[in-house]
Amino acid sequence: MIEVRNLSKTFKVYHHRKGFFGTFANLFSRKHRIVQAVENVSFTVTRGEIVGYLGPNGAGKSTTIKMLTGILVPSSGSVTVNGYIPHRQRKENAKRIGVVFGQRSHLWFDLPVQESFELLRRIYRIPQEQYRHNVAMFDELLGLGAFFQTPVRQLSLGQRMRADLGAALLHNPDVLFLDEPTIGLDVVAKSRIRQFIRQLNAERQVTVVLTTHDLDDVEQLCNRVILIDDARLLFDGELATLRRMLSKERLLSVDYAEDYSDVRMPHTRLVHREGTRVQYRFSPEEIRTAALIGALLQKFNIVDISLQEPDIEELIKTVYEDNLILRETSKLI
Amino acid sequence: MKTFYRTLLVYLAFARTSFQKRMQYRVANLAGLTTNFFFLLVHIFVYTAFYAASREPQPLNLTEVRTYIVLCQAFIMLMPLWGGRSEIADTVKDGSVALQLVKPVDFQAYWLADALGKAFYYLLMRSLPAYWLGKLLFGTVLPQQLGTYFAFAVSMLIAIYLSTAITITTRSIAFWTLDVTGVNYIAHTVITFFSGLFVPIALWPEWLADIARWLPFEGLIDIPFSIYLGTLTGVDIWQAIGKQVMWTLVFIGLGRGIITRGFSRLVIQGG
Repeated sequence: MIEVRNLSKTFKVYHHRKGFFGTFANLFSRKHRIVQAVENVSFTVTRGEIVGYLGPNGAGKSTTIKMLTGILVPSSGSVTVNGYIPHRQRKENAKRIGVVFGQRSHLWFDLPVQESFELLRRIYRIPQEQYRHNVAMFDELLGLGAFFQTPVRQLSLGQRMRADLGAALLHNPDVLFLDEPTIGLDVVAKSRIRQFIRQLNAERQVTVVLTTHDLDDVEQLCNRVILIDDARLLFDGELATLRRMLSKERLLSVDYAEDYSDVRMPHTRLVHREGTRVQYRFSPEEIRTAALIGALLQKFNIVDISLQEPDIEELIKTVYEDNLILRETSKLI
Repeated sequence: MKTFYRTLLVYLAFARTSFQKRMQYRVANLAGLTTNFFFLLVHIFVYTAFYAASREPQPLNLTEVRTYIVLCQAFIMLMPLWGGRSEIADTVKDGSVALQLVKPVDFQAYWLADALGKAFYYLLMRSLPAYWLGKLLFGTVLPQQLGTYFAFAVSMLIAIYLSTAITITTRSIAFWTLDVTGVNYIAHTVITFFSGLFVPIALWPEWLADIARWLPFEGLIDIPFSIYLGTLTGVDIWQAIGKQVMWTLVFIGLGRGIITRGFSRLVIQGG
């Protein structure tokens, strides 16, 4: 369904000189540097998958999505979606994909939602019957009816997102690209949107590529995650694998009775310290949990102690910070 | 044939949307109408003074010039060059052009359709009131023949398309330099001057008028209004309209080239 081979994108970023004379000098010679936004990324997505495409801000997620949707031309490498080369066959590709950008709306700002939907019906040449069926279904799942006649500029963010999601799926696309679909939404709206995506995926085998910073999105939707950082692919595999690989590490929180100056322990990493509350990360393979707690009790005066498996957010942070699995992934992929 | 018809329906729907979009801002329109009226007054007073001071016979009489000025203020809003903000450049600058490009829609055809809807809106909400007001206050001349009305309507419609094609071309420079204000400012001044918006080309010195005749911009203002005034007649009308059509096609071709090249180096702004 989606084939990405050695995809790279570089941008020229011009250096702007400061001040009046600097601006003047910019007219004649401009210095630039090359920024590598995506570097040698390859992956394949098959029909019906929901893939979470994750990475910190500026990692190259959106740039990749833009190349997959045909609105950016790759610097090198190849992309095919549904057998089309998106940037060469932009319009053909566009007919078979749906796109939602969390930060922008597809809908015509000054018109009621319904008018935008009607316009989309014409643009994508959706048969009446399919159109009616989809609108009824989206109304049921997303509750569009309540604001179907309201101009888009008057919608709340949650309503707008729901309308946008419906708009992106009216023409029954094979692939759905979601760029931060739950950004800024409350818990109820988020869960409604996730349920909708899950159902569409199950019923219609829509392939979904999703970028997000909300790891609940990932946990609830994605069977597979692709992590990128600093333009490069870090990990590609099942979420469970990622978790297994990383949950070798555990988190131990300790409340000390006194404010010790040196609380370091062998075989652990001190990850957080706030007054007398200290958090350690350790791997049970290096030091058994019981042995660690025993050693702590011997050395310090302890009020409270708790042990936790790190949540996925913590895990991914570790990956980004340490490029931890970069060394290990080669075995996995 | 059927595909063509359905494609046409899509772009007509864009035109309709563009019309509906603008219907939302009727108070802004009233403010715009006031501005048109202000310029109308200024231009008319200047020419009245000018004609009062001149003893030589001019190629156009005062009533004709007044009619020309009323037509200018009534109809310039139909043309994207003068009517409103540069929406194309805006969409590139803020990155929302991305949303247009992820749909199976032709970029240039979209903006041509948008301009048509906009023109229809301004025809109803600006041109007719402004013209009526001008006629009431200054007494404009009306064409005597039905054929003249028809030729004027055709020429005006082409003028709208010529204006749109030029606008799309100059503003697509936004794909290269994000900020198009500088380039557009220069282009705008030159185009406005040679269109005959300030001074009807009939009143220009011969050598300057000759230059204007070789440029595409007289097709925006001077040609349709000269047809209306009856200073262009017979075969000359159709020759002038032919010239408008030719320049429109040239700019559509040029615009397509620029847009195709522009896309390949497009940077979508924002995350």
